[in-house]
Amino acid sequence: MRLELGADQSRMSLLEKVWQINWGLVLVLCALTAIGLTALYSAANGRFDPWASRQLIRFGFGVVVMLAVALVDIRIWLRAAYPIYFLALALLVLVDVAGQIGMGAQRWIDLGVIQLQPSEVMKIAIVLALARFFHGASQEDVGRTAFLMIPGAMILTPVALVLKQPDLGTAMMLMAVGGAMLFLAGVQLWKFGVVAALGIGAIPIAWQFLREYQRKRVLTFLNPESDPLGAGYHIMQSKIALGSGGLAGKGFLMGTQSHLNFLPEKQTDFIFTMLAEEFGMVGGVVLLSLYSLLLVYGIIIALGCRNHFGRLLSLGLTTNLFLYVFINIAMVMGLIPVVGVPLPLISYGGTAMLTVLFGFGLVMSVHIHREVRIHRRAMLGDL
Amino acid sequence: MTGIPLDEFGIDDLRDYRRFLPATVAHGRPQGREIPALTQGRARLVVTAAIFCVAVLVICARLVDVMVLQEATVTRLPHAASTAYHASRADIVDRNGVLLATSLATASLYADPKLILNVDDAVNKLTRLFPDLDRAELTEKLKSDKRFVWIKRNLTPHQHQQVFRLGLPGLDFEKEERRIFPTGSLLAHVVGLTGVDNHGMVGIESSYDKTLRGGIEPLHLSIDVRLQHIMRTELQASIDEFKALGGAGIIMDVNTGEVLSLLSLPDFDPQNNNDIPPDAMFNRATLGTYELGSVFKIFNSAMALDSGRIHLDDTFDTIHPIQAGRHTIKDYEKMHRWLSLAEIFQYSSNIGSVRIVQQMGIPAQRAFLDKVGLTTPSPIELPEVGAPQVPNPWREVNSWTIAFGHGIAVSPMQLAAAAASTINGGIYHPPTLVQRDPALPVPGHRVISPETSDKMRRLFRLVVTSGTASFAKVPGYVVGGKTGTADKVVGHGYGTKANRTTFVGVFPMNNPRYLVLALIDEPHADASTHGFATAGWIAVPVVGRVIKQMGPLVGIEPVNEDSPEIHQALDINARPRSIAGATP
Repeated sequence: MRLELGADQSRMSLLEKVWQINWGLVLVLCALTAIGLTALYSAANGRFDPWASRQLIRFGFGVVVMLAVALVDIRIWLRAAYPIYFLALALLVLVDVAGQIGMGAQRWIDLGVIQLQPSEVMKIAIVLALARFFHGASQEDVGRTAFLMIPGAMILTPVALVLKQPDLGTAMMLMAVGGAMLFLAGVQLWKFGVVAALGIGAIPIAWQFLREYQRKRVLTFLNPESDPLGAGYHIMQSKIALGSGGLAGKGFLMGTQSHLNFLPEKQTDFIFTMLAEEFGMVGGVVLLSLYSLLLVYGIIIALGCRNHFGRLLSLGLTTNLFLYVFINIAMVMGLIPVVGVPLPLISYGGTAMLTVLFGFGLVMSVHIHREVRIHRRAMLGDL
Repeated sequence: MTGIPLDEFGIDDLRDYRRFLPATVAHGRPQGREIPALTQGRARLVVTAAIFCVAVLVICARLVDVMVLQEATVTRLPHAASTAYHASRADIVDRNGVLLATSLATASLYADPKLILNVDDAVNKLTRLFPDLDRAELTEKLKSDKRFVWIKRNLTPHQHQQVFRLGLPGLDFEKEERRIFPTGSLLAHVVGLTGVDNHGMVGIESSYDKTLRGGIEPLHLSIDVRLQHIMRTELQASIDEFKALGGAGIIMDVNTGEVLSLLSLPDFDPQNNNDIPPDAMFNRATLGTYELGSVFKIFNSAMALDSGRIHLDDTFDTIHPIQAGRHTIKDYEKMHRWLSLAEIFQYSSNIGSVRIVQQMGIPAQRAFLDKVGLTTPSPIELPEVGAPQVPNPWREVNSWTIAFGHGIAVSPMQLAAAAASTINGGIYHPPTLVQRDPALPVPGHRVISPETSDKMRRLFRLVVTSGTASFAKVPGYVVGGKTGTADKVVGHGYGTKANRTTFVGVFPMNNPRYLVLALIDEPHADASTHGFATAGWIAVPVVGRVIKQMGPLVGIEPVNEDSPEIHQALDINARPRSIAGATP
């Protein structure tokens, strides 16, 4: 057995746990946030207000949350998985009923102290719940089509609610995270094929239900030059900014596209463009490398975990981060249609940052409790 | 490891990274259904990691593509859908394609009085629509026996529709065109204006009337509206400050003769061309001919130097005034010594200039002024061109006064073209308002040798560095020029209070590109000029400010004016040779 961790990890003292925290991972997160703060400082034309200062406070808060989450026993998270999922689902219903309208969509709940975006909470909750579900499932169970009805419903219910807001981007992210979880849990490939075929068949029907702006975005994606002053404006300006950045960039605070306000949403969704314009391709690659490092951490932590729940959780959350990064960067470069997905830790905004830091808290919890064994069918007794 | 039953924990119990090695290596004794499950769990993880890798690589590739490889795509703005409308009169644009005059389709309202049912009703309705119509006049028109009377020309589309709505019989529309001048009065004297029937009456509209009518391709002028705007702003500011009567301004490309800016103030609004005062209508730059004073020393010096008989360092007696009939020719600034030709130019000595022309003789002077176009009307393409007033007969006393710019009256346009020919290498290019075709050779004829032209450049520079035009110094731009302050003829003699100040500036002096001329008519000195109303205080600062603004616009790179190259190119390094070299 492993001696360096002690035979019974469930009885680790708090100090031992703190020692086990993956400080390298924390460092990478800090580095990314530092880049984000630099970008926000530049986006405000060389001022800490209004974005960088608040973002720093949020990060401080988020790091505390992350470390707290990391120190909580993985079995408590296992037990809390379903309640968290149903709470998130309830919030999603609530937002439909009493949410605030922001940018033409109903996405926020005002809790007085903070504004909560339940669809973001759901991104974590769905990973927790599916990890919990498949932890308790045997290989035979996973092979049965009827058995998959439950996780299917677990994914599609929030997706439908988010679509209703309407928030196509988040709905697709939830769908992708759910799909990735099913894939990692070992669902047969032909089932994915069937779902994909059904999905493609449903496109003409779904087209009818898309909002005008969503259709326009898809059409614009296919041919951005068709409407350079209207729906294609964002992506044209973004590509001009990227092109003007070149290899080494224009220099800190020197980006013309962003500082002359050609680039829309430069502090949120298009912040990567602004960074790339000022720090060039080199800066963009450095940023991508840092994100890749996070992904590698997530995968290695999953590999090193001895329980199925922890591994699925770590991989699911890593996939979640990957989707954030990939969708955002691919969008600003015109690889995929414009969807409102922020760049985690870089873009201005509290919810996405908190979601990602909370998620990495869970990943670290998986790492700290990697030697804990959880019985497949008698999990609750283990505590 | 071996003591733990595998089936209880599924793949969970395979420890460390051995799990992800080939199953047979990692695990000595795989059993039963665990093998596919193990392999599958491993494969799925590897596939997911591989997808991450591929996605990151795709993004990186795209990043390189967008940021480094792709040429910046030029965004073509969408054009508003419009049906091609061919006006019966072509547009006029500046050298950069800025629209200066265009035609709009309009409708004009007329009536057939025979068909009007109720004149009073029609008059009521029409005057309500057009309050500016005169009731009595309209009533009279509609009651007349004619079959056609104009009621109102050039209606807006909205007015057109409103007249339709009146539903009055006997009213009808004639399709017409209205000339629009988007730059307003900025180019009033250049573009000119058209009359009610859309025929050119003033300026290019008049001189190119035939070409414009029925033409489709726009007429490209040599004008640059940006420079025109700078010139107008600065000239107007000076006129306002010194309460002057008016002014003229010209910017010219000395190597092609193209006029980039031509201005006469006061000017007029070509759009509302009723009741333009005659003074505003008068083009001071081309139609007005004036005694321009000391700027004529440019031609006196060029003629003398080009003859080869007189050199920069030849000296002349400028101590003793010259008696010319009842008048005495004196200097404003008395030096009390003999001056070289260069110093005569620098200090603008009248006596010295007369001494020079005395050596050259009348025929040489006359021939030279003919060559540089000062004795014939300017060939500029405007109907408003004034004929120069030259003495006839041309006596000795005339030649003396002409040497310092009196007793001959020319237009500022003639002056600009002639002055340009002395510093551009010695070629006279006829001035033009129409953009030259770069494929065709620039017309012109040689007036002085390149060597003489080089000396003239040094003289021009001298006036700015240490002569009367120090206010034309612009940091980074090597400016040169010559001032002229002429007393105006008041009654039968020259007034001492009323004058006309002129400055001909050129830059960059080491390789001349642009000539900038400013003329201010009857300025009044104020405290800022310490009571002086001379060109050095009035016209020179205008040219300085214009050059300061236009230099970056026309893409001339600033240089260090004190660099050795500039000094070598433009300094007068000759000392006075010998007093005996010249006979007074």
